[in-house]
Amino acid sequence: MPGQTQEFALANPARPRESPLALVVRQLLRGKSSRIALVALGIIVLVGLLAPFVAPYDPSAQPDIVALKDLPPSLAHPFGTDPYSRDVLSRVIYGARLSLLIGVLATIVSLTLGVAYGAIAGYAGGFVDAVMMRLLDALLSIPRLLLLLGALVAWPRLSVGALVLFLGFTGWFGLSRIVRGQVLALKHAEFVMAARALGASRRRILLRHLLPNLVSPIVVAATLGVAHVIVLEAGLSYLGIGVPQPQASWGNIIYDGADQIATLWWMSLFPGLFMVFTVMTLNILGEALRDAYERRS
Amino acid sequence: MLRYLGGRLVQAVVIVAIVATITFALIHLAPGDPFSGVMDNPNVNERVRTTLRAQYGLDRPLPEQFVRYFGLLARGDLGWSFSHDRPVTEVLATTLPNTLLLMAIALTGSFALGILIALVQVARRGSTTDHALSAISLFFFSIPDFWLAILALLAFTYWLPLFPVGGTVDAVTHDYMGLGERIVDRLRHLALPALTLTVLASPGVARYQRAALLDVLPADYIRTARLKGLTEREILRRHALRNALLPIISLLGLSFPALLTGAFFIEKIFSWPGMGLAVITAIGSRDYNLVMGGVILGSIMVTAGSLLADLLYAWADPRIRAR
Amino acid sequence: MAPLNRTRLLCAMLLCACVGTEPQSGKSLGGTLVISTGSNPDILVPALLSSVQAAQIVDLVYDRLANIGDSLNILNDAGFTPRLADGWTWGRDSLTIAFHIDPRAKWHDGAPVRSNDVRFTFQSTTDSTLGSGTAALISNIDSVTTPDSATAVFWFHARSPQQFYDATFQMPIIPEHIWKGVPPASWRGSEAARHPIGSGQYRFVRWIPGAVVELAADTANYRGSPKLSRVIWSIAPDFNTAVTRFLSGETDFFEALRLENLPEVARHPELKTKKYRGLGYIFAQFNLRDPVNHSRPHPIFGNRDLRRALTMATDRVTLVRSVYDSLAIPALGPTVRAYPTTDPNLAQIPFDLARARQLLDSLGWRDANGDGIRERNGRPLQFSLIVPNSSRPRVSVAVLLQEQLRQAGVKVDVEQLDFPVLIERERKRAFDAAIGQWNTQPSPGSIRGTWGTAGSRASSGSNYSSYENPIFDANVDSALSSFNPAARKAYFTRAYETIIQDAPAIWLAEPLPTVGYHSRLQLAPLRSDAYWAHIPDWWIPADKRIPRDNAPTSIVPAESAGKKTP
Repeated sequence: MPGQTQEFALANPARPRESPLALVVRQLLRGKSSRIALVALGIIVLVGLLAPFVAPYDPSAQPDIVALKDLPPSLAHPFGTDPYSRDVLSRVIYGARLSLLIGVLATIVSLTLGVAYGAIAGYAGGFVDAVMMRLLDALLSIPRLLLLLGALVAWPRLSVGALVLFLGFTGWFGLSRIVRGQVLALKHAEFVMAARALGASRRRILLRHLLPNLVSPIVVAATLGVAHVIVLEAGLSYLGIGVPQPQASWGNIIYDGADQIATLWWMSLFPGLFMVFTVMTLNILGEALRDAYERRS
Repeated sequence: MLRYLGGRLVQAVVIVAIVATITFALIHLAPGDPFSGVMDNPNVNERVRTTLRAQYGLDRPLPEQFVRYFGLLARGDLGWSFSHDRPVTEVLATTLPNTLLLMAIALTGSFALGILIALVQVARRGSTTDHALSAISLFFFSIPDFWLAILALLAFTYWLPLFPVGGTVDAVTHDYMGLGERIVDRLRHLALPALTLTVLASPGVARYQRAALLDVLPADYIRTARLKGLTEREILRRHALRNALLPIISLLGLSFPALLTGAFFIEKIFSWPGMGLAVITAIGSRDYNLVMGGVILGSIMVTAGSLLADLLYAWADPRIRAR
Repeated sequence: MAPLNRTRLLCAMLLCACVGTEPQSGKSLGGTLVISTGSNPDILVPALLSSVQAAQIVDLVYDRLANIGDSLNILNDAGFTPRLADGWTWGRDSLTIAFHIDPRAKWHDGAPVRSNDVRFTFQSTTDSTLGSGTAALISNIDSVTTPDSATAVFWFHARSPQQFYDATFQMPIIPEHIWKGVPPASWRGSEAARHPIGSGQYRFVRWIPGAVVELAADTANYRGSPKLSRVIWSIAPDFNTAVTRFLSGETDFFEALRLENLPEVARHPELKTKKYRGLGYIFAQFNLRDPVNHSRPHPIFGNRDLRRALTMATDRVTLVRSVYDSLAIPALGPTVRAYPTTDPNLAQIPFDLARARQLLDSLGWRDANGDGIRERNGRPLQFSLIVPNSSRPRVSVAVLLQEQLRQAGVKVDVEQLDFPVLIERERKRAFDAAIGQWNTQPSPGSIRGTWGTAGSRASSGSNYSSYENPIFDANVDSALSSFNPAARKAYFTRAYETIIQDAPAIWLAEPLPTVGYHSRLQLAPLRSDAYWAHIPDWWIPADKRIPRDNAPTSIVPAESAGKKTP
């Protein structure tokens, strides 16, 4: 709450007011589990970014579709090969890249929409706010997967870009509520009225008071949001309506091996483990951030 | 109280109306004609075409189509599912109970298991048991629904053939079984999907409840109880749990969407003939009516769930009741 | 339903034994065949069905006038065996065939089979309001008359080697007294369609959509009782569940094992497999017309040389070996080796990636910007390939093809569609390229519908490529009107070679269907077009029966009446 921050600052004049972002990072680095998670996530992101250098083979290359297909893990192919003789390790690495990219981009879309929607609703107030909130309630009542399935029945052929947009358009509801709450609280805070009375522009109020209070919920929503999107995209790809061939995503790889799960166990195991691992790190980080944010207020 | 209920009901109706509008918009924003697959197809029953025309007022201007659509919806008519060759309401009515069965079991199971785990963790907070349970909780919390279901299917029907593969009953021999055998057959088919969904939903409850309990523990009345000499266990049981039960009720309402989503994947992987499997199959056949019917029904369920939770909360919390 | 008690059960079984006809040679009636399948039957009306499962059920519940033999000889009538008709006579000018109906033949509801049933079957099949695709196949039949209740006379427009085949194979006979009152436009959703009454050796018991179809032996059948007392289809929602049900012992038979299933089956000593020559072939067809404007040729596939170049760029042999291994052989063309009229040495377009690249270069498709994809006049050499997601092998074929053509500088987008959606796109010619599979009929003349000009022009035709070549048509027609087997083969060879060189499709594979079955089942020969044709002769020795074989058949489960999906 803005008021409390100021009190804190007044009570401890020796300590300079830290930006919430710095506070957040410091909080992250304090806990042991979040430190490990941060490092682990960093490694995965690095692997994804450097995929062309890290992956031993071209993920789409089909070197020998008769002799090299369906091979179990070996030294030459640590994660085995798929029914098209493609190296699964390379596909998992590129899959990290694509799945993370989709996760991040979709979350950016969600965050933008969520902040915009919530800010507008909170700021406008009155009838507009009421209508927007009812619409939001309606959207929140539809489970996200259902909304996606409903959209995908109408738009069957999706490129990765369109998939990102669809995932993004369905993930902003919760955040907008939080943003609206903050904006409303701000509208009625005494010091804001005082500042306005003193002639402070709306933009200054926005920058100095609203945004700093939004950083934490946004970062938390972003972290957990990426985790959600990764799992959702994998689920959609597993149903066959996600990332198209020949690109690799974690869900995609599981789909390719889905009808021979028992014999091609490596195609379900490794992408799944990577997914769980990544989602765990994101959850740990997101919750550490949330704890820090809640403790502060 | 009654006024509160009335207000919430009106809100719920408005929400469902908005959802219906959204589904209508989705159908008509889509590229191509969503019904050409049915209308131009010579293999489709004439009755289907007439029903569609009447329901959607095809060839009429869009606003009129919307009014017709809405009118039919208000009367409970969700249209015709051409992939099942039956009204959508009929398809949903036959498949929904199966989904509700899974969700009900998973709801009770996950809450029971989750609260138990949370109690154990709080009773031994800081110990290795606490940390271990936290890690396990986190692991199952982070696991994608469909992946756990795949692993469960693999492990318990293939490697260790303990359970049958999919369906609610043995389609071939069930009707020839005696009553006792039939019950066992149903239970055997129900066990794995229900257990998997329960395991998927439990960690959420456990973590939530653990946090709620830890929040309540420093409270004044707890300190008083300690000073009075009650043991930790008695405190947990008599005071903390009861007060931490309130958030559980709101969690009940919040868990519906996740439970429904989980049920969808479980139904697909275990071939459990519920609403989820029907909708997922309908996506492939482009059966718009069935998919949209599922979306609307899903949102009704979620809205009803949160309404129920709100009512329970208002009833349970003496602070609100006094108002 | 009241719980069975032992005495009731015993009485029922004794009753069964007394009333039923004992099948011959001491193979006692009994046993259940449970077929595991991943697809639903669509409709149980012979003239309207299009799914294999529906065809299986219909073939067991209904009878044809005569059945084709295992050698698939359809020239005149030598290769046929009597069925509903116990004999026939040709008219002097050979433009009529008079079928004499077996006097013992009865419908499952007890009514006798009469010649008016035959006439009714023909009339309803050709009734345009029914919308049956079979009508186009029997255009040579002018009418059916019934001089008496036991004789049905078929009148033909013209003499052809396929007269007998047309009159018998295309029309299982349906009962007039059941269907007469139902207008053909409403046959699809009618009660009669949900409870078929036929004259075959199996009678219909129940159909729970998405779960089960059950048939029971017609023990009093005029041709004798079949040996298995029940045939059941256990319908799973997808292929893999269906296979798993077979492997786990829940079912006895699986009709289409894939390569990856074979090691699994080998691990079960009580399961066996059997391969046979099928009548199917798989291909990647091009739409020769512009999907946006059908009157224009396709901007890419309208050019014959380009199609040949794409064929040259595809290593078909390796592709087939990768996806199917020993379960398929490379396809020769739009035909199968099981036909006596197919020459196994048809000239092919060879696999030659270098020449394909040269050909594409010479056509003006070059990679100007170095992205690996060729362009011409700013337009990339790129197209979408649609494939049914219900068939994993075909999806695999598509992905392999995508990569092979990428080596030649062609970009292929694989679109996985649900089967009905794919059929819709093909019907409307709204696609670039599609992976298709035809399971052909016993008559090689069915190629007219799939690759002939008539099939391209007709709105219900299956020539989705819109391939129209009068030379091809003329050769096929000449083949079909030849009574000389050698001449037939020569004409077909010329026709096939024409279409192979025109390359409206890349001819990929000829699958060798492989069935899996429980070892206690004693099978009869598996006919190429219908492995199920001899199911009435399959049996299970009494000493090998398992518990579900012995469930009483005289008791119909009460819950089956009006039952919905469980």
